[in-house]
Amino acid sequence: MRPVAISVDSPEVSRNLAQKAGYTFTLLSDPDTHVIRRYQILHPGGGPDGHDIARPAEFLVDSSGTVRWTNFTEDIRVRARADEMLAEAAKLK
Amino acid sequence: MQTSNIYEPNRSLWAGIVVLVLFLLSSVLPFREVPGKEALIWLNLVLGVLTLGLFVVGLRRAIRQPQRYRGKIAGWIFTVLSSFLLLLTVFGFYASRHIPSANAAPKVGQKAPDFELKDTSGQTVSLSQLLAGTIDPPGAVVKPKGVLLIFYRGYW
Repeated sequence: MRPVAISVDSPEVSRNLAQKAGYTFTLLSDPDTHVIRRYQILHPGGGPDGHDIARPAEFLVDSSGTVRWTNFTEDIRVRARADEMLAEAAKLK
Repeated sequence: MQTSNIYEPNRSLWAGIVVLVLFLLSSVLPFREVPGKEALIWLNLVLGVLTLGLFVVGLRRAIRQPQRYRGKIAGWIFTVLSSFLLLLTVFGFYASRHIPSANAAPKVGQKAPDFELKDTSGQTVSLSQLLAGTIDPPGAVVKPKGVLLIFYRGYW
């Protein structure tokens, strides 16, 4: 199972984040929120300077491109735990 | 002239101080991703309300029964302080939970919309490439069983 993180951050900002946090997985940039809108998870004006951002969301997609699990937190302080996500991923054949 | 100590301890103020410490701890402890984190967040709010309540009771006692209880000045200081902290907490609660719903997002069983986005090296990556395993992830050679898309707020 391959984790892919997506935000409005530019590739440079994401690269810095990945370096500082030691992330080795893929980080993708959606600065114009095209994909965020396509996934219907836009948070208008949610960024620190009123920038449009994504609301937190996780989608587990199987090899056929079908969504198998979703997680939409009600509180930005509470995110899906790694063990939860791994357990869901383990169900994929 | 009275010289003996006739005061009772203002237990409500002392209890308020203890709960204030617990409230502050629950506010500043780094929120590790642990089970029951949602419960901890509500507990923090409850502790904030409890703190203010205890100080208000203690302050009232010191005002209404000055011969029996001390702590008017401390009572005022702690009441104002805990009011302010509770206000911050409530505001933080609102800001953290006032986010758009995801009702229209792709649901389980639906197809995940394809996309093309740049990764940290500036290379364009598509969802179909990720699912087909034709984009090399660091260190992996096997086609993935699936992809976990993690949309996050950014600005970190």
